[in-house]
Amino acid sequence: MENITIVETHGLTKRFGSGVLAVDSIAMSVRRGEVYGFLGPNGAGKTTTLRMLVGLIRPTSGTATVAGHTPGDPKGLATIGSLIESPGFYPYLSGRENLRVVADLASVSQKRVEEVLDMVELSTRAGRKFGTYSTGMKQRLGVAAALLKDPDLLILDEPTNGLDPQGMAEMRKLIKDIGQGDRTVLLSSHLLGEVEQICDRVGVISNGKLVKQSTVQELLGEEGVLVRAQPIEQAQELLTKMFGADAISRQDGALHLKTKPTNSVEINRHLVNAGIGVSELRPFERSLEEVFFQLTGEKQGS
Amino acid sequence: MIATIKAEWRKSRFRPAFLVATGIIAGITILIYLLSWYLALHPSAAGERAANILTLYPDQFVNFVMGAAFPVGAAVAIVVGALFAGGEFGWGTLKTMFTQRPGRLTVWAGRMVVFAAWMLILTVVLFGVGAAASVMVAAFQGYAIAWPAAIDLLKGVGAIWLIFGVNGAIGLALGVAIRQPAAALGIGLTYVLAVEIIAVRFINLINDGAYKWVTELFVNQNATALTQSFTSPAFGRSVAPAISAEHAVLVVAAWGIGLVVVAAGLLRLRDVT
Repeated sequence: MENITIVETHGLTKRFGSGVLAVDSIAMSVRRGEVYGFLGPNGAGKTTTLRMLVGLIRPTSGTATVAGHTPGDPKGLATIGSLIESPGFYPYLSGRENLRVVADLASVSQKRVEEVLDMVELSTRAGRKFGTYSTGMKQRLGVAAALLKDPDLLILDEPTNGLDPQGMAEMRKLIKDIGQGDRTVLLSSHLLGEVEQICDRVGVISNGKLVKQSTVQELLGEEGVLVRAQPIEQAQELLTKMFGADAISRQDGALHLKTKPTNSVEINRHLVNAGIGVSELRPFERSLEEVFFQLTGEKQGS
Repeated sequence: MIATIKAEWRKSRFRPAFLVATGIIAGITILIYLLSWYLALHPSAAGERAANILTLYPDQFVNFVMGAAFPVGAAVAIVVGALFAGGEFGWGTLKTMFTQRPGRLTVWAGRMVVFAAWMLILTVVLFGVGAAASVMVAAFQGYAIAWPAAIDLLKGVGAIWLIFGVNGAIGLALGVAIRQPAAALGIGLTYVLAVEIIAVRFINLINDGAYKWVTELFVNQNATALTQSFTSPAFGRSVAPAISAEHAVLVVAAWGIGLVVVAAGLLRLRDVT
């Protein structure tokens, strides 16, 4: 993957007329060819940021460069496909006719309409009026419209919204396929599993601020091993001798070890040889959910 | 620009608002011809006729249509303009249009070309139906069919196109300013059917009409004067309009262009949320 940025913002800020600070000095960079997840709870400022990137709204301050141009520049727009919030189409036209309208606007061949309908598996239902579509079908049509230009950069705002579980899985696969090669996908979502499955790097936004930007692996932190053993004090003492005090912590009656899961065999042997009963020994990884709640200050299950 | 016109035409050609408006214009024209025909053939007990049959024949159809089309046609144009501009906000299609290749002003310019074409279609339908209705009346009455001069027909078409266009522009500008169609068409219709008429009456009463010149800048005062400039002895005695046709054309055109430019400015500068 090349390390060239295709989206770069500096101090990007949006304060609406009502005084609401929706986006607060965001500095994000999306590299060419990656699938970038823009993660945050509802109302965090994801959609406002994406709207600024495609030129629909102007920042109050700060700058953004998207595909080498300022947001909204026709030259830049020619290389960007986007689906921002809910798909916007004409209810009295069929799905196919709606795509033809977009193809005309984007100066794209009408042949491409059938190709993208195939890609989102909507060909057989493309003759129906958009107003009669289910939420999932509308979402697919929105993605199809975003793909019409065969864009270098695809910006998708919560593309799995309204899809059933099978539809979500298919959409994720589609996005993964689209993200292969040189094309860049910038995907916003509040679904952690979705981001974890699809994205190479993520940016976490909370209350309008970008609180973290890294690879998914970096975000999840170092890998480790979880040990449940009895007596736990004796097990902790033994493992501290093996790995050092800094590598061990005790949470919820279990020991968390910062070490490679391949050391599990050795850990087990030492504990058993010392007469300590081992009830659980498994690789441990923080879930994206835990990291997310930690970063955004949201409470789990709230 | 060509791309935006193509796209705009593709989506507008089956747009229900335009198709319904075309039907309303045609239906109302036929209805007015039928009612006038009935009144012309059925004088009152005092022997007075509410309509002169001579005005219903093809040689007078341009003059007749000018009177019949206004203000119903103007009201229809406002509704169509408000739906055309305001509907895009309600459907969220503005963001789809503005995130493709063309810039915002190019998109708007393309839309205006297609809107002007639709106003011309409404005008042609009005005159076409008027001509057909006048032929029908003449045929039933056994009157020889003669047509007005081509230049009069062209002037008539041009005048109604301009009037439909400026009233459409009121709807367009309100649709963009308010960002939704319902309130835009409500305000537009209220303005044309009540506010302007009341304002003109009041202004004319101030200091014995010292500010009458102000009313001569009102959009539909001029539109009315323009339609009244099309008349003939068959319509009976008529008072010459206070505003000349030339003045009316200039004022109406200025309003139309001004409203479209203001709407373009709003679209260019405002956020699409």
